[in-house]
Amino acid sequence: MIGDLLQVNNLSVDLFTPRTALRPVDGVSYSVNSGETLAIVGESGSGKTVLNFAPLGLMPTGVVADLHGSILFDGVELIGMPESRLRAIRGGSIGTIFQDPMSALNPAIRVGRQIAEVGELHLGLTARQAEARALDLLKLVRMSDPESRIKQYPHELSGGLRQRAMIAIAIAGEPKLLVADEPTTALDVTVQAQIIALLKDIQKRLSMAIVLITHDMGVVASTASKVVVMYAGRMAEYGTAEQVLLSPRHPYTSGLIAALPVPEDPPGSQFRGLRGSPPTLGAPVPGCSFAPRCPLVLDICGKITPRMTAGAGASSTACHSVNGIRLQEVTHG
Amino acid sequence: MKTMILIRLRNTVVLLLLATLLCFTLVVSAPGNVAVLIAELRSPKSTFEQIRAVEEELGLNDPIIVRYGNWLTGAMRGDLGISYKTGESIGPALASRLHVTAILVAGGACIAMLLSFALGFVGALWPGRASDVATRVIALLGASMPSFFVGALLIYGLAVELRLLPTFGDAGLTSWVMPWMTIGLLPAAVLSRVVRVGLEEAMARPFALTASAKGLSRAQTLFKHALPNIAPSYINALGAQGGAMVVGAVVVEPLFALKGVADLFLQGVLFRDFMVVQACLLIFLTSFIVLNLLVDIGMMFTDPKLRRQGANA
Amino acid sequence: MRALQDFIGRVRELPRASIVAIGLFVVLGVLAPYIAPHDPNAQDLLSAHTGMSWEHWLGADHLGRDTLSRLIVSARTSLVGMCLVLMIALSVGVTIGTIAGYKRGWVEEVLMRLVDVGLSMPSLIVALAVIGIFGTGYWNMILALALAWWPGSARISRAVAVGIMNRPHVEALRVLGASPSRIYFRHLLPGTIGAVLVYATADAGAVALSIATLSFLGLGIQPPTPEWGQMLVDALPYLESVPMQVILPGLVLTGVVIGFNLLGESIALNRVPAPLARRVLKARRLAAAGWGKVGR
Repeated sequence: MIGDLLQVNNLSVDLFTPRTALRPVDGVSYSVNSGETLAIVGESGSGKTVLNFAPLGLMPTGVVADLHGSILFDGVELIGMPESRLRAIRGGSIGTIFQDPMSALNPAIRVGRQIAEVGELHLGLTARQAEARALDLLKLVRMSDPESRIKQYPHELSGGLRQRAMIAIAIAGEPKLLVADEPTTALDVTVQAQIIALLKDIQKRLSMAIVLITHDMGVVASTASKVVVMYAGRMAEYGTAEQVLLSPRHPYTSGLIAALPVPEDPPGSQFRGLRGSPPTLGAPVPGCSFAPRCPLVLDICGKITPRMTAGAGASSTACHSVNGIRLQEVTHG
Repeated sequence: MKTMILIRLRNTVVLLLLATLLCFTLVVSAPGNVAVLIAELRSPKSTFEQIRAVEEELGLNDPIIVRYGNWLTGAMRGDLGISYKTGESIGPALASRLHVTAILVAGGACIAMLLSFALGFVGALWPGRASDVATRVIALLGASMPSFFVGALLIYGLAVELRLLPTFGDAGLTSWVMPWMTIGLLPAAVLSRVVRVGLEEAMARPFALTASAKGLSRAQTLFKHALPNIAPSYINALGAQGGAMVVGAVVVEPLFALKGVADLFLQGVLFRDFMVVQACLLIFLTSFIVLNLLVDIGMMFTDPKLRRQGANA
Repeated sequence: MRALQDFIGRVRELPRASIVAIGLFVVLGVLAPYIAPHDPNAQDLLSAHTGMSWEHWLGADHLGRDTLSRLIVSARTSLVGMCLVLMIALSVGVTIGTIAGYKRGWVEEVLMRLVDVGLSMPSLIVALAVIGIFGTGYWNMILALALAWWPGSARISRAVAVGIMNRPHVEALRVLGASPSRIYFRHLLPGTIGAVLVYATADAGAVALSIATLSFLGLGIQPPTPEWGQMLVDALPYLESVPMQVILPGLVLTGVVIGFNLLGESIALNRVPAPLARRVLKARRLAAAGWGKVGR
């Protein structure tokens, strides 16, 4: 929607590595506003992580990303922004939480210092002020015994505590947007719930927008206000959480939700998975990338790429069958 | 932490004793009759009785254990025997030369550390660019050129051609510059690779991405996040290079006419003066063992996991 | 045969400069007597200290001996010395290492402690100490260096031996009652030799350097046999007037060591991600341009 904090419009990312060229993101559009949580759901290789990291310049060495389209953050265009300005945004108005807190934290530096660093960099605090603020942040993320934790090294903390430290680092710069990449995947189930609750609590206090990248539908259900479903680099479905979770339109989304075991399933019953496997990312596929696995596949699906089309009072989805072929504009892929 | 240090100290003492054993074995197994040599030194054409007297004096007929004990206690007192070539006591000669070698190695180490960080950092800061290639080439050359060649080139370039530095003699600080550069170049090259590769590997780890996500520039990430992670392996390598420099003194001291321990060692080897060889060897081995101890302690302080382990032990 | 194939396979992946340098070294060393234009020991005091000329392409030393010939023959001296040292050191090292890896238990403990002591002593000091006690001379030098070098190969061959012994098919052989010597010679030894050869080629440069250093100190190759280190030290007093006589042997020696060092570095497997080369990036962008409009 216009005026939202983050507006992504027709974003595509071309990735170049020493060995290959691929397009992990192809024509994605969505928006998030303060106080909202957007969940980006997809399997590994769906492009959901590149989608968020490439525009921020967070690609590993040896990988170059070309961005097309538009990303407006707080009214400012991120695509084409010089690295120096991106650096001011990274860690400042946009905070990031990574998947594995053990490797994401520096093993050779104390936890408190790693948090204080953000304050010094983005809020102009002195070392002492930043360290004091780090203590407050640790209390905010409900870390046990924060006074001693602040002096400890990452390997002395448990997984859940490390993730709390990561969250403290991410919000230390008072961000307007928080990007969380699979924040609970590396954690025990009991700890997962705590971290999710913590994130929601912090979001309310700081009125942040959250983009939550995940493959776990359960997490989506408990946190998201909007959902984007990604498949092979393209959007499959986009709508509010109720729309997507309760009345999914795209066959992929339906498959994902149906695959979730429910208490009514008798023990020993088979998994209701989707047949086949997702394609490896490469050059953009003509037609619909889900066609080989789709129960609703039509002839046209192999030739023309479906466009996202809104349903009446329901989510937008990119599917020829669901949208009805007569609504399709004939364009070239 | 304290217990770990005490354990290391105890091990060090054991190693030192082993080293003395080794040196002693070397001397005892040397071919030739020591008594004859000493007797000949004192008066050419010595008689049988004179040789026998010398044997008694040196305690050559005592059982091995006794000989070892005597030798060891003497060594700890600073009495390292008599040089067969000059007839003089070795202890004082060594003492006067120790500081020369110490200055040489210490100065070389400083140069090695400075150069290695400069080269390694630059190489890691701009990977793939001209500066990276340049630092790699310099490092390769430094590690491949024999130290005597480096020394000869420096002498030719700086002293002969440009007349910047004295070729020999003791003209204060300026006469130390070339020896320091010669002895420090190879360690600098090896250590710069340790720094560069260590930094590059650290930058490939996930925490470097976190640092980037915090808004840190590449230089800031290298300096604040990557550098602390290479400390343990750098200290390890520094220790090894320290030992290499002590060995390197064997070439640098004669080349620049420095009267150090290595120079004395060479004299001993040249003239097959076993006592001198054994005494210098003892000094060398002691310095290696002490260096190892320092490296271990250094590692304990810089590796957070070891530190906590020691504290909780 | 497997060991040799293994070795050659690895050689294929090595940097070209390294192969060239080492190849040149070996060729010169082997063919030296046939290539050298002059007798390296022929003195001609009238030509002493001459620079480059048609008679002496690279000049002559202080005794009028042709430098080019001496450089070439020095390659042979280095090559032969290096091979002898390595052959002896590797034989001893592999034997001790494989026995330790095969027997395990206290035999392994004792042998490996010995190896540890040997490894903690720098090779040059060991060699010097031995020469100091037993005197100078060609074979004294060779044996002294071999004594300094065997622990390295011992450690590697033990590690490999332990790995091989733990493999299922070797366990099966033991259970089936294969004789120890059969296991040792048919299975253990061939596997270790491959790994040790790789280590040896990388370390060979250090051996050549040690020979040169010992010769520089007057304790290695004795005149009249030419050697690079020896040539350099002989020419050192005349550094001011004829610097080339010092620089040439140094350069050649450096070149050989560079060859071996490059080899060693490439073996070290430095798999660190590097930024994309400009050429590669261009090619990738070209490929992407053919994908058509974005968002379709």
